Amino acid sequence: MNVRESVGIALQALRANKLRSTLTLLGVIIGVASVIAVVSLVQGLNQYVTNQLTASGSNVFSIDKYGIVFDNDTFRERGKRRDLSSEDAAAIARSGAHVEAAVAQLTAGATVRRRSRSLQRVTVRGVEPDYMLVNDLPIGHGRPIGEADERGRAAVCVLGAEVAEQMFQSLDPVGGEVRVGSLKMVVVGVGERKGSAFGASQDLYVLVPFSIFEQMYGRNRSVEINVRSRGQESFNQAQDEARAILRAKRHVRPGEPDDFEIVTPDMVLDLWKNLSGAIFIVIIGVSAISLVVGGIVIMNIMLVSVTERTREIGVRKALGARRRDIRTQFLIEAITLSAVGGLIGLALGGFIALVLGLLTPLPVYVSPEAVALGLVSSSLVGIFFGAYPAVRAARQDPIEALRYE
Amino acid sequence: MLIHMRDLHRVYELGAEKVHALAGVDLDIERNEYVAIMGPSGSGKSTLMNIIGCLDTPTRGSYVLKEQEIGTLSDDELARIRNQEIGFVFQTFNLLARADALHNVELPLVYAGIRHEERRRRAREALELVGLGDRMKHRPNELSGGQRQRVAIARALVNKPSIILADEPTGNLDTATGEDIMASFERIWQQGNTVILVTHEADIAKHAHRAVRMRDGRIESDVRTPITTAARP
Repeated sequence: MNVRESVGIALQALRANKLRSTLTLLGVIIGVASVIAVVSLVQGLNQYVTNQLTASGSNVFSIDKYGIVFDNDTFRERGKRRDLSSEDAAAIARSGAHVEAAVAQLTAGATVRRRSRSLQRVTVRGVEPDYMLVNDLPIGHGRPIGEADERGRAAVCVLGAEVAEQMFQSLDPVGGEVRVGSLKMVVVGVGERKGSAFGASQDLYVLVPFSIFEQMYGRNRSVEINVRSRGQESFNQAQDEARAILRAKRHVRPGEPDDFEIVTPDMVLDLWKNLSGAIFIVIIGVSAISLVVGGIVIMNIMLVSVTERTREIGVRKALGARRRDIRTQFLIEAITLSAVGGLIGLALGGFIALVLGLLTPLPVYVSPEAVALGLVSSSLVGIFFGAYPAVRAARQDPIEALRYE
Repeated sequence: MLIHMRDLHRVYELGAEKVHALAGVDLDIERNEYVAIMGPSGSGKSTLMNIIGCLDTPTRGSYVLKEQEIGTLSDDELARIRNQEIGFVFQTFNLLARADALHNVELPLVYAGIRHEERRRRAREALELVGLGDRMKHRPNELSGGQRQRVAIARALVNKPSIILADEPTGNLDTATGEDIMASFERIWQQGNTVILVTHEADIAKHAHRAVRMRDGRIESDVRTPITTAARP
């Protein structure tokens, strides 16, 4: 059959009645638009999260008492475990053949002040000298916290770029003084700017020597240990070593489970993928519902069209159209309808995604797969819901169709 | 022999009642005849026309068109015969309202599977033949009744069928235009085509050279009028 003619008829009908067409296609438009917007958003986030996690080095893992916890019971249970200490970190650093460095760190929130300026809820980290090496956090200006600072319990700090800017503006922060909580500290360095993630700045931190942190917040806290393996290949061995060292040191009997948790970037990534996958499925489900509704509307309009054009069907049959010719014609019309809806939905969804990307800190990525998904699903709707009207059209008896008024 | 019908029956079942629309029709039509099928409504002439046109098949009896038995063909085979052998001209023209004259004439060639350029060329030729060379891009609603029927005639001719089958072709036209259309059929016949005219108007039927009268599902009379030698091609 003449595909061009059928597509032409469908487009003509769409143009002839714009309001009806819009209403007809609304379901498909909304369905495809939401698919595109959500897929773009989730894929953008995926890419972003992957970049973030691999940026800090894919051969870094961390160990703490809790790991990734979702429920209160587990949280309480793990809270009863023995605390991890900086000695544990030191043991891993000392005995792990595949471990390049291991550091303990503690975290708290504090207000940072300088003269009349103040910044609330800044992350304060008590870190050991190798912290910046392990976490691949280059110093932007000045120097990192060193052995001497640790040993001498020097009241010094490294500021995140954002904190430095807020406190010192255009002045050079190195050598200046800030008040972290209630303690006055000398700034020795500024971290390199990392930018923001999901709208939250990653440069809002203050690093202080571990010993100073303990002095400020007390000693009885379980530390988080960051471990860097010697290379990508030895990542798993480094984990095994750390596990063995900690088990021995904490007297965990063979057969008993670890009393600490190792968290790798992959685990976080998997967690994220599960989460985004769940969001994805929910939204795809919702979109599928609107696609089905849109398909039913298209089926309805095609049935009306078949009835309206009974006589045309009769004429075509008299002139030699076979059943399959008529069927194909109406099917192509239905597909054209839904594909036009799909294209509009695509444009709308892409537009929504772009606007979201511009107005919010959410990263957005309109992928070719998303575009293909939108177009294929809308065309499938056309085929599925256009089939019945097309079969009905093809089944018309030519004599009765010609007589139809 | 183009058409060969023997003991043709067509029975419709309307609920419990059986209607004998055709009750034993024998009819032979040669190539290049100009036949009028006449009769009052209910005489069975429409049913006969539908069967000749392969839109319908007989309940019983034999209809052989160009050496082929029609009664046993499938829907798709009937469609192919309609496409290749029959050129319909209807009382109400039955043009596609949304398509221009050229496209309307092209339609049978679309279903014949002929390529685009060839279709265009042949449709143009057919329209020029009926004197509508300057109306190709007009839609039916931009044409007069007579012009519409000429588009329909061009459409009937375009695939070079064996039979031009016209059902009350002047029924929706005024007398003068009707005469015009009848003159077209005369020309078509002179060019060697077989024309079958279905009508209840004696004035129209007299243009033909043979009048088959139907009554109660049977042929009541079959009269040949002598053809003037001048009219013969």
